[in-house]
Amino acid sequence: MKLRDFIDKIKPDFSKGGRFEKLSSTFEAFESFAFTPNTVTGGKVAPSYRGSHIRDAVDLKRTIITVVIALLPALLFGMWNIGHQTASFYNLDWGFWHQFWFGFLRMLPIIVVSYVVGLFIEFLFAEIRHEQVSEGFIGTGIIISLIVPVTVPLWQLAIAVAFAVIIGKEVFGGSGYNFLNPALVARAFLFFSYPSHMSGDSVWIAQPFHFTGDAISGATPLALLSGNSLSSFSSSFSSSSSFSLLDMFIGTIPGSIGETSVIAILLGALILLFTGVASWRIMLSVVIGGGLMGLLFNAIGANEYMQLPFYYHYLMGGFAFGCVFMATDPVTAAQTNTGKWIYGFLIGAFAVLLRVLNPAYPEGMMLAILLMNCFAPLIDHCVVASNRNRRKKRWATAERRIA
Amino acid sequence: MPSTTDFAVKPIDYVGLNPRLLVGEGDNVTAGTKLFVDKNNPDARFASPVDGMVKAIVRGEKRALLAVVVERTDDAAQQPLCSPERLAAMNRDEMVDTMVEHGLWTLLRQRPFGIIPQRDSHPKAVFVSAFDSSPLPVDYAFILDNDDFQKGIDILASVGAKVHLGLSAKNDNAFLENIKNAEIHHFDGPHPAGLTGTHIAFVDPINKGETVWTVNAQDVATIGHFFRTGLYKPERTVAFCGTLVEKPQYYRTTAGASISALAAMVKPQNGHAPRFISGDVLSGLSIAADGFMSAQCDKISVLPEGDYYDFMGWLRPNFRKFSFSRTFLSGFLSKFKSKNSKFTFDTGRHGDHRPLFVTGEFEKLVPLNIYPMQLIKACIVGDIELMEELGIYEVEPEDLALCEFADTSKTEIQAIVRNALEKIRKED
Repeated sequence: MKLRDFIDKIKPDFSKGGRFEKLSSTFEAFESFAFTPNTVTGGKVAPSYRGSHIRDAVDLKRTIITVVIALLPALLFGMWNIGHQTASFYNLDWGFWHQFWFGFLRMLPIIVVSYVVGLFIEFLFAEIRHEQVSEGFIGTGIIISLIVPVTVPLWQLAIAVAFAVIIGKEVFGGSGYNFLNPALVARAFLFFSYPSHMSGDSVWIAQPFHFTGDAISGATPLALLSGNSLSSFSSSFSSSSSFSLLDMFIGTIPGSIGETSVIAILLGALILLFTGVASWRIMLSVVIGGGLMGLLFNAIGANEYMQLPFYYHYLMGGFAFGCVFMATDPVTAAQTNTGKWIYGFLIGAFAVLLRVLNPAYPEGMMLAILLMNCFAPLIDHCVVASNRNRRKKRWATAERRIA
Repeated sequence: MPSTTDFAVKPIDYVGLNPRLLVGEGDNVTAGTKLFVDKNNPDARFASPVDGMVKAIVRGEKRALLAVVVERTDDAAQQPLCSPERLAAMNRDEMVDTMVEHGLWTLLRQRPFGIIPQRDSHPKAVFVSAFDSSPLPVDYAFILDNDDFQKGIDILASVGAKVHLGLSAKNDNAFLENIKNAEIHHFDGPHPAGLTGTHIAFVDPINKGETVWTVNAQDVATIGHFFRTGLYKPERTVAFCGTLVEKPQYYRTTAGASISALAAMVKPQNGHAPRFISGDVLSGLSIAADGFMSAQCDKISVLPEGDYYDFMGWLRPNFRKFSFSRTFLSGFLSKFKSKNSKFTFDTGRHGDHRPLFVTGEFEKLVPLNIYPMQLIKACIVGDIELMEELGIYEVEPEDLALCEFADTSKTEIQAIVRNALEKIRKED
């Protein structure tokens, strides 16, 4: 194969002692992108190797690419919806492909900035540490571009991505060692640093390219419900100008790019569950936790937000997206099966709790996941402690028996 | 077996050995003659498996002893090391002395640590598995000599402790079902259902400070044969199997036999050299084509080396690669196909090493009451107290072999567990 010959030809330059030795991690990343390496169990020569001589075909690249594939429905829908929202707000007579093409053009710079900034830092750290470049950011990069509004200034996005990768991940040792979901770190950074752009109570609709007037903001369902809009609550769901349950389910509403369409997200969830890449325990328990908390508020019913039927929470804001793609991040979630139930349940419950009780933070899902990211190790510790205590008790009984 | 005259005893087959050589090249030895002893455990005396002459003392880096090779010189009838009448009249201590003296003691393994026990070791139980659940399993009912095996069980019951014999729930061999002097347990399910580690966990788990012996079923027969006849005759029936073996079959031979003659029958496949594994493909030891079978070996598995590049391997659907995960169409479709659909295995690692990333994949593969991920991490960190409380004494590397196989991050879990066990053993 020609490509293989070419790689083999330039490989010595990038190896130790070669001309481009400093770029060895970069070279290795591209090489293993093109070809799964020819490494065998026990090393190149394996005399007297004891261990598993065969290995499962799966590797981290395969796992991550499965996540990316699962994100595609939400990505494609999000692109179309950018154009769709613009067309409806500016009363433009755009066809389906025009809307999609517009969304694609608006989306492209966001994805490019997210990947270029994130991957540059990943490659840089890998070269400094003389490690291989981890593929973790392939997934993170696309998730970040799906959870920001389309009007996010690119410089803000760049800073947020850099912050997320460096502070959220690399300072802890890189992919696999971080305790916070990097994509959410980026989102939280934007949320708290540039509240005027990102307060969550309104999300900008992309301007058509020829438009020069002021930006128009379209309120998201969450914004309509949060504090300052409570008065309009009763009318908002019935009036034709606002959003029906079906709109929210299909996703033809304003919002962060990839999180509006519950259908597209469910499609991704199916892929993740079918391939077994994401934990069904976490997804299910997030849904249960959110639902029960919603029902609890229904029972209290102190204000209109509390009276909102619990299933609305599944359809609004980032609940579905967070549940499927971010709560399930294996690195930052609880790792034990029991722990996953607790972790997911609390995420769902806290997300609804934050939404209803603290209108200043309409997007409760992001904060709920970040909060539980911090508690995941503690949850695991407690779950594992029961196993450790059982074992110690058994030792004690055995000692008594002998004595 | 295609005839072979060379047999070897190798320190690498045992855990934590520090051998002191007792013979030199050219020395004449008989089956049962001590070749070397362990400096740390003088009860571990390693005997020549055959009558013959020491052909070679193989040394490696820093003059570490790799193997003592004995060439079988003639086929004259072996002389008993001890008369059967005398053996029959022995009490426990005399039996132990005899076993230590003639190298039979080295057939015992002590858990935790997988080492050869000390003479004064008093295990709480002895576990023998006659159920091979590993890939390409052997049928112990077929390869075991009935009288020798029963006698071996009797001896272990008097020298060690209560013997537990693990059998497959599907076993239909009347002889194994009716073994005396042992409690019989049946286990059902896929690997690691046949490992003694699994049996111990379900029958009588090891507590801190306790020890258990495990003995390979064929070694039980070797012990039995000695106590019946007075002959040290470590005969073994091994399966020669694996992807590259055209005609898989059993061969009868003696422990430590050279595999040269067998290896000569194997041809490389599509330019990929064969890898010879003494033991099963999940936890065996790779040996050279002119190498020797290792201790406790029931089979020689042969796989093609997987040293090829796979273009866009991470992206292609792939129908033929095996994966526990369903991220490949093959794993996906296997849900709908028969359980026996065939995959070709090679030694390819199929990816680069990464930090432990994916969770939940080990738990499905470990039937023990432990948290494998947390235990492995404790082993990496080297926190002894944590390892103890997470159940390190209940595992040998082989018990977590399937985790190593399935691991997305390509971590060498068995080596990590072995190193952790050795660290604990040396601290004591």
